[in-house]
Amino acid sequence: MHKPLTNLKRREYAEIVSFECGQMLCNRLEGMGIRLGKIITRINAPFMSGKVIVLINGHQVALGRGMAEKILVKPMEADETGKSL
Amino acid sequence: MGNPNAGKSAIFSRLTGSHVVVSNYSGTTVEFIRGKMKLADETAELTDVPGAYTLGPANRAEQVAADMLKDGDVIINVIDATNMESSLYLTLQLLQTGKPVLIVLNMWDEVLKQNIKIDIGKLESIFGVPVVSTSALSGEGIILLKKRLTEARPGSLPLEIRNDNLKAIGHIVRNTQQVPQNAPSFWQQLDYMTVHPVSGTLIALTTLFLSFAFVGWFGDWLQDDVIEELFKFFWLPVAESISAGLGSAGWIHDILIGERIEGRIDFIESFGLLTTGLFIPIAVVLPYVFCFFLVLSLLEDIGYLPRIGVVIDTLMQRLGLQGLSIVPIMLGIGCNVPGVMAGRVLETKKQRFIVATLIAIVVPCMAQQAMVIGLLGQAGITGLSIVYGTLFILWIVLGILMNLFLKGKTPEMLMDLPPFRLPYWESSLKKIYMRMNSFIKNALPFVLLGVFMVNLLYTMGIIDFISDAFSPVITTLFGLPGESGAALIVGFLRKDVAVGMLASLDMNLHQLIVASVVLMVYFPCVATFVVLFKELGIWDLLKLIMIMIVVVIIVGGGLNLLLGLTDQI
Repeated sequence: MHKPLTNLKRREYAEIVSFECGQMLCNRLEGMGIRLGKIITRINAPFMSGKVIVLINGHQVALGRGMAEKILVKPMEADETGKSL
Repeated sequence: MGNPNAGKSAIFSRLTGSHVVVSNYSGTTVEFIRGKMKLADETAELTDVPGAYTLGPANRAEQVAADMLKDGDVIINVIDATNMESSLYLTLQLLQTGKPVLIVLNMWDEVLKQNIKIDIGKLESIFGVPVVSTSALSGEGIILLKKRLTEARPGSLPLEIRNDNLKAIGHIVRNTQQVPQNAPSFWQQLDYMTVHPVSGTLIALTTLFLSFAFVGWFGDWLQDDVIEELFKFFWLPVAESISAGLGSAGWIHDILIGERIEGRIDFIESFGLLTTGLFIPIAVVLPYVFCFFLVLSLLEDIGYLPRIGVVIDTLMQRLGLQGLSIVPIMLGIGCNVPGVMAGRVLETKKQRFIVATLIAIVVPCMAQQAMVIGLLGQAGITGLSIVYGTLFILWIVLGILMNLFLKGKTPEMLMDLPPFRLPYWESSLKKIYMRMNSFIKNALPFVLLGVFMVNLLYTMGIIDFISDAFSPVITTLFGLPGESGAALIVGFLRKDVAVGMLASLDMNLHQLIVASVVLMVYFPCVATFVVLFKELGIWDLLKLIMIMIVVVIIVGGGLNLLLGLTDQI
């Protein structure tokens, strides 16, 4: 059930389960608050350009497609979403 | 120190009373700025450091921050209180340096507005350092911050935190903060639309169009109907009497007042220090610069600029850049100097080179544009469209070529989008004032020097000599009168003065277009040059100059040929 962040639908909530990136990028993502176990929502619809804009910690972050592909997430059920936020 | 866009500069200017530029996006400060503040009876030196997410730097601005850390005695860690999660990563790293720390939870007004609850007492006991809440833009909490600064001390982190930063942050945040769930507000809806590929592009194009239309229209009105009238009413009689007092001739008269055109003083063509030297910067350039800064500051403080970056990212990737480059480029339209400096937020050397080259070659500063608009605008919209069209095509072509031939990678976009905020009038106005002030201080002396030099060179016959020497290129290739060579020389000092010199040469529209484009593309003014040297180093600067010379010959020559063809039809 894990899928890359790029495949997340708009307004779908998911939990970050793993990173498949190098140490450098991982550190930067962590520094910006994108970490394991965090709940993340996509706020832009998937489109050709492939950029992913997410809401995390109540703040928006725009990521390139390549980066987003390296972040694996586990989508959450609708009723689960309410509780964990 | 703190994350980008946490409000470090705002706190800094509150504490020191000095003025630094504050905007609502990451990376406004790219260099450290020092200031002094009074602390009880002592004076302390305070350093404003560029924002960083971690102490392992990702770009040059963050490198500056990491280097600065070694010099400091006390660290003031500024945190965006609405975004504790991401800020605490750096906080823990700072606490582990063993230096005395004071934590500032900034943007407290937003916290209250969003109904977020943060337990400050608990934070203090976890970190073992003082924690203060502030709203830097309105000034709340600053007095308390000053008072408690002496209490700053090395943190005493519990052992379990030291072992695992990430887990600790989650733990701390869960224990000290409660965030309510709100329905998407109007701003959030708007937010979504501004980054959508279709509606976002439309909004970006409309915004940019309206912005530049406003600058063009309002700047023109301010120039023609207000400042020029004031000049004629108040200054012309003074200048005339000085002119009469000097006997309307002689070399002192020529330098101060210039040449009388058809028996009258002409503020553009006379070219004296007290006529053209004052008229160009104050009456022609300043109105446009003011309008541009007004619009830019609003776009910045609302938080819209990075969103244009998201929309434009796909195009920028083709040019070897990323969306974030919109910030240096927009600043470069105001003045190339801060534009080139803002390039520091970009991560790779390749990107910094491309953005510096594009700014130097195809982004004319507002001062120059104001003059060109004045010069070409009289003949209608055709000339201006050709000039800007050429620049736009050049921008794309040059970017694509540089992306192809330069080594290095263009990393993907990774940036946080600041929340939309209504600007605080006080801080936005202060920013506009500061930018205007620095424009006048930097531009006026150079304009006067430029005008002075023109007169000197003319009287000594040097201009004729240079014009003769360069006339093969200028006359044959560009199809311009030999005298315009002088403008190219002066352009190195100040581009607006150079464009002003073109006005007195009797040129047709075709020649004016070519001359304007050539002036815009070739060598940037000396101030930009110095910054380019500092940012790029000598070898990359030489590379940039080579590119520039090739470009100016191809574009100037090509445009002359093309326009020549249409002339014949």
